[in-house]
Amino acid sequence: MPMSDETLREQVSRAWQRAADEDHSSFDIVWQAAQERHTASRRRYLRFASVAAVVAAIVVGLNLQVPEEEVSYIEIAELLDSTYWSAPSDVLLPDREFDIYQDMPVLFESTEPAGGALL
Amino acid sequence: MRDSDALENNPHVSRSALEAIHGQVYGWALSRCDFDHATAEDLMQQAYVELLSGSARFDNRSTLRTFVFGVVQNLARSRFRRLSTRLRLVKRYSQESNADAAEAMEPVIDDGVWRAVRALPARQRDIIELVFCRDLTIEQAASVMGVSTGTGRVHYDRAKKALRSRLQDWTEEE
Repeated sequence: MPMSDETLREQVSRAWQRAADEDHSSFDIVWQAAQERHTASRRRYLRFASVAAVVAAIVVGLNLQVPEEEVSYIEIAELLDSTYWSAPSDVLLPDREFDIYQDMPVLFESTEPAGGALL
Repeated sequence: MRDSDALENNPHVSRSALEAIHGQVYGWALSRCDFDHATAEDLMQQAYVELLSGSARFDNRSTLRTFVFGVVQNLARSRFRRLSTRLRLVKRYSQESNADAAEAMEPVIDDGVWRAVRALPARQRDIIELVFCRDLTIEQAASVMGVSTGTGRVHYDRAKKALRSRLQDWTEEE
């Protein structure tokens, strides 16, 4: 005849109790140790967080002290260490045009008088 | 529920409630680590740390006992996964067998029922322990083991059948 559920349960339960020897540490001891571990890990976390905050503050502080470079155009004259200046209007002039300052026209002059006046 | 001794990060768990189930949970932890008391105590401490820190948060969806059993089960699983990886590496580079050390932890009991229980596959042994020795229902046991209730039932039925047939064989042999 097959063993009933109850008998099986009882036998297994008894065998388990014999084998396991469940003499356990008292709750207070285990709880105390767990609390210590928990406190230690929180302390470690706080220490790490405060170190990280200090490092972040130092990095931000150092970055604030470095003067910001102004963005500007590079002057060729500065690079070549020479004085050079060109009027902005010169840039607008076409390349090959009549320049009244450079290319003086030949003036027609006459010394012959005509009716009391020079031609 | 908010007891006066409720945990700061786990308001539905109180120290007194944990104290009331400590013995049962310890027994479960003990069987998770082949009845090594030092490892079981360490597992228990770790489980309580999880509850204290709120990493394992109880929200009244099951009984506290089922929940804490589950926490211990998960911790044991992850611990032994790491250990088995290390053990594989050690075995690969060492010729010495660790069989002697493993056997030392097993309780030496000359008991047919116990031998039959030990011979069961791990899942079947777990559900038998949870239902027969820890008085959990099959649903609760399945939730502790992290399997569906249907799977839990299958393991439970197979375990009972295997136990019956083994015990029958041994009775006939004797």
